[in-house]
Amino acid sequence: MRAALAGLIAALLAAAAVAAPVRFDEAETRRILRHGPWPPAVPADPSNRVAENPAAIELGRRLFFDKRLSADGTVACATCHAPALAWTDGKPRAATYQPLHRNTPTVLNAGLGRWFGWDGGADSLWAQSIRPILSPQEMGGSAAQTARRVAGDPALTCLARASFGAPAESDEAALVRAAKAIAAFVATMVSPRTPFDAFRDALAEGDAKAMARYPQAAQRGLKLFVGKGCPDCHFGPAFTNGEFHDVGVPHMPAPGMVDFGRHGGLKILAADRFNRLGPWSDDAEGEAAALTRRVRATHTDFGRFKVPSLREAARTAPYMHDGRYASLRDAVRHYSELDMNRLHVHGEQLLRPLRLKGSEIDDLVAFLESLSAPKLPEFAPARYSACP
Amino acid sequence: MRLVLALTAALLLVRPAAAAEELPIFDAHIHYSHDAWDMLPPDEAIAVLRKAGLRKALVSSSSDDGTQKLYDAAPDLIVPELRPYRTRGELSTWLRDPTVIQHLESRLARYKYVGIGEFHVFGADADLPVMRRVVELAKQYGLVLHLHGDAEAIDRVFAQDPAARILWAHSGFDRPDKLRPMLSKYANLWADLAVRSEHGSGGKVDPEWRRLFMDFPDRFMVGTDTYTPERWYYVAEHAAWSRAWLNDLPRDLAEKLAYRNAEALLLGERAPSR
Repeated sequence: MRAALAGLIAALLAAAAVAAPVRFDEAETRRILRHGPWPPAVPADPSNRVAENPAAIELGRRLFFDKRLSADGTVACATCHAPALAWTDGKPRAATYQPLHRNTPTVLNAGLGRWFGWDGGADSLWAQSIRPILSPQEMGGSAAQTARRVAGDPALTCLARASFGAPAESDEAALVRAAKAIAAFVATMVSPRTPFDAFRDALAEGDAKAMARYPQAAQRGLKLFVGKGCPDCHFGPAFTNGEFHDVGVPHMPAPGMVDFGRHGGLKILAADRFNRLGPWSDDAEGEAAALTRRVRATHTDFGRFKVPSLREAARTAPYMHDGRYASLRDAVRHYSELDMNRLHVHGEQLLRPLRLKGSEIDDLVAFLESLSAPKLPEFAPARYSACP
Repeated sequence: MRLVLALTAALLLVRPAAAAEELPIFDAHIHYSHDAWDMLPPDEAIAVLRKAGLRKALVSSSSDDGTQKLYDAAPDLIVPELRPYRTRGELSTWLRDPTVIQHLESRLARYKYVGIGEFHVFGADADLPVMRRVVELAKQYGLVLHLHGDAEAIDRVFAQDPAARILWAHSGFDRPDKLRPMLSKYANLWADLAVRSEHGSGGKVDPEWRRLFMDFPDRFMVGTDTYTPERWYYVAEHAAWSRAWLNDLPRDLAEKLAYRNAEALLLGERAPSR
């Protein structure tokens, strides 16, 4: 009888603990508020003079879905960045003409970044847009092919003229214009508000009633998220600091092959004639180029990859640079059981295994799921009507 | 004629490290730990080191079997040192594990080494019994201590044995203004530059580091640190990077940092033999 009573009390206490409202102290509240407000304004890109031009945005939208930019007319940007899959391909690693060794990231919120690609090999969204077009493994296109496609299509020609004025003077100029238009379109794709954003704003306003609508599990997960130091990298409204880190993920895609990550990306960036220091930037001497001018590779950049945004994470599986984790739960487990042997003592000093209990993993996953909107809106409407 | 000779001599003295791309490199910070063995069998690992143009490689591994595998495959290339860790996971526990001593003693009785390390020790932990015994063993066998730690740990080890020879891994991750007093204080302190980038970024030697290298030309050496299996594929990249900044130094100094200092400290007049 006594044992049964003790069991009942324990069960009631446990239930009470689960049901107890989650309280956030001052420091936690401050950290949570830094993840908003959402949506933010997309920063201007001085290297792309048509970044906010409606005609260019429409031109970019059409080119994004245009398979004629690829070698055999079968691959478009949207082949791997498919709208129905939250602008990813849903595969562990991308594969069009040839299999790649990295996961396709979503283009949602890409306009908020300062480095592009898992390795940061591009310093602008338009330079990044050129990479897959020219890559024989991805679209296998060329500057000449891009120029022909735009010149041979009256609607595209009209939009190009409305965006840039006089016709492109060379094939390469036409390629850069196409890429800048694609970048202008991609930059419009900011993910919508989420349950977390509603909670965050309610917290800012002290609106307890609105806060209570946010699921308890997500609140507990949020408390873990800010308490365990996750925002050190998954920082700010976009839940990324935009930089590169080694989180102990192996980076050998095949025997004898290693992915240099950020270290390799910086070499690509330095050699890229389309970088912000190059002749195609609309602001090569300005502040937009300063980061590119200053950045230097270090030995610890080897094996570092870009910190992805966590927004819409529930829709963008699989995870990590090589898509090795099929679910958010798997990704959380990675940090829970982090293999410190893979990290240098003086490398990523912030990282420690989180050692989460099963219920804590559930809560953290619930929080991460709350960073996705109930539904993604249609991002691809035609907005410019002056051309056919 | 005398003037011509004098000018020629002057030019030779200030000549930068022309053809430094051909500089042999003694990589003083290589690990070949258990997780690398399957990925890169010994023959392939040796091929990586040779392709990088390494003259020698100071190798320590978790476990030491990795070092012995490489030494067996290329005794002309591999310079073995004994790591206290039987697995990589012992990094933070070894100082409080007395069985480490038995491990070290049995390996020292069986194989030849030039040093004990690389091991991690910070602050007052350098006075723990396991560390004290390591210092004694180094003295007994005439070995260098390859120490990854802070200045306090260095002080404490020298307090135990003022004649100890310490190779300070990663130059303590300290800045030149912190390294200078340590190098001045201890004539038996050397430093490797593994995982350091700031001294030679972009093929140019930082002025403060240049002064340090000039003032202590016999103390520094280069190293990669293959702390994950993937980093074996970085050895050649690192050697090329090192040659680029060494090329910015006078040839004689460049050669010292590239390989002569390591040879003098670790090999003396002879390579280790069984």
